Amino acid sequence: MANNVFTISGLSFSYDQNRIFEGLDLALREGLVTTLIGANGSGKSTLFNLMTKNLKPSAGNVFLRGGDVGLLRLRDFAKLVAIVHQRNTAPADLSVEKLVGYGRFPYRALGRRADAEEDERMVQWALETTGLAEFAKQSVSSLSGGQAQRVWIAMALAQGSKVLLLDEPTTFLDVRYQLDILRLVRRLNEEFGMTVVMVLHDVNQALHYSDEVVALASGRIVAQGAPEDIVTSELLEQVYDVSLRVVSVDGKPFVLEV
Amino acid sequence: MVSTLRKAAAFVVTAVALAALFFVAVNTGSLQVSPEQLFNGLFVAYDDTVSTIYDLRFPRIFIAMVGGAATAVSGVLLQAAIRNPLADPGIIGISSGASLAAVLVTAFFPALLFFTPAFAFAGGMVAFLLVYSLSWRGGLSPLRVILVGVAVSALFTGIMSAFGSSSGSTSSSVASLVDANITMKTWDDFQTLLAYGAIGLVLALFVTKRCDLLAMEDKTARSLGIDVNKNRLLISAIAVLLASISTAIIGPISFLGLVVPHIARLLVGTTHRTLVLYSVILGAFCLLLADTIGRTIAAPYEISAAVIMSIVGGPVFILQLRKARSSYGE
Repeated sequence: MANNVFTISGLSFSYDQNRIFEGLDLALREGLVTTLIGANGSGKSTLFNLMTKNLKPSAGNVFLRGGDVGLLRLRDFAKLVAIVHQRNTAPADLSVEKLVGYGRFPYRALGRRADAEEDERMVQWALETTGLAEFAKQSVSSLSGGQAQRVWIAMALAQGSKVLLLDEPTTFLDVRYQLDILRLVRRLNEEFGMTVVMVLHDVNQALHYSDEVVALASGRIVAQGAPEDIVTSELLEQVYDVSLRVVSVDGKPFVLEV
Repeated sequence: MVSTLRKAAAFVVTAVALAALFFVAVNTGSLQVSPEQLFNGLFVAYDDTVSTIYDLRFPRIFIAMVGGAATAVSGVLLQAAIRNPLADPGIIGISSGASLAAVLVTAFFPALLFFTPAFAFAGGMVAFLLVYSLSWRGGLSPLRVILVGVAVSALFTGIMSAFGSSSGSTSSSVASLVDANITMKTWDDFQTLLAYGAIGLVLALFVTKRCDLLAMEDKTARSLGIDVNKNRLLISAIAVLLASISTAIIGPISFLGLVVPHIARLLVGTTHRTLVLYSVILGAFCLLLADTIGRTIAAPYEISAAVIMSIVGGPVFILQLRKARSSYGE
């Protein structure tokens, strides 16, 4: 368990009568980029919300490095895990710098900044890492969709956690910004040693940018491992219920329509 | 974005306008003093005219200012807590809940008069929780909150009017609460209002950062360590405290908590720390203006500040409602 960032054991969850998970077990390794893939309704978003304390399991636990996340205070969780959700809104007049500064909220004590210098340093680092330093004073609403997504990632980075969770970070972006975001994710992993867990819709992006993929189908894990080891057309048929061809491009699997 | 210079200008201009309005208000009525005479009468030597104004007009002016500030800040907090730019303590029934409680105490338990603010707060909380729970359906639709709030407000106001009518002129303190009439207020009333108002304002300044974060999606706020539901209740409770204390002394004022934050956002932006501080000044200005106009426009008769606020605030509310419809897609 020592090098697992998330350990999920015996996890059950249902929406009213609709059972999503029953006794799910899963371990995600520290230091990797792991992507959850699956068809709509496979449970990947529900799993994401259970891992991020937005839903409570009806049975079983989600452990973060051995500690039950159900027992962690939201604020302590926010220091360990940064999350970028799919939908985000900000007041029109809020500047990039201020929004990124919100990422320091978990470190405030009694409504005041605990360490202004550290806050400043982390915000600067987050802005530079995401290439937003030149937009710092601009309002978030003046940015393009791709730049705005970087702002939300920068806010998460300012939290200073070693774990980053992303829910479909590329969904509303055109392809150029999609790749832009995914390259940033890889860089965060390789340069800063961040553990990344994300949900992606595009299977090729998942295969290309992940160290490990976890494939879900009807609330069960059907495969977990490095893309080149596990991805076959049988697996994809099981996951997406459609036949696809898998070819190898530069040693990585690539999926084509038949 | 609103520049720092513009923000500073808004603060200075409004503060100067408030000071000027204060002198106009002091000189509105049958007795008049010059600023020098006022200063001398207050701080240097006894002056008959100044002394009369001090006893009769000053409490009213200060009560209007503090009550206006408290109501405006209450509106800012309420709008942040339920993420609804249309929320106003008067419109969604908090003020009527608070004043009903105050009226009941005044009419039936005069011995408990000292605790009126506490009862008003309880009444305001009951109204708020009623509106909150009745309009909750997997989320808070801004328009449903308003509709339920108007209904709850009508109910409480109706009961209160019944008391007002049936107690007649024998219980003038009841009647003055029902009509939101600021005449005949004393320095004691002002002290009560100031004490609770100051507590509410200090609490408000402690939660401004949370208000900022609540403007984001609930999940995003949670990811930064904010327990969204708990904080909504906390911030609402402070808003209810501010609205209730003002209501307990002045009576229900509608639209002030809507109009002031709306103008404030245009002038100083959406950061809640600035918004709260600016709303203190602008709220004080607006209610004092409404009260002063009410005193002069039909002299020797008086129109209550609440009535003036409704005449001005109603159209603003309708404009806001039209804007909200387009942005919430309802």
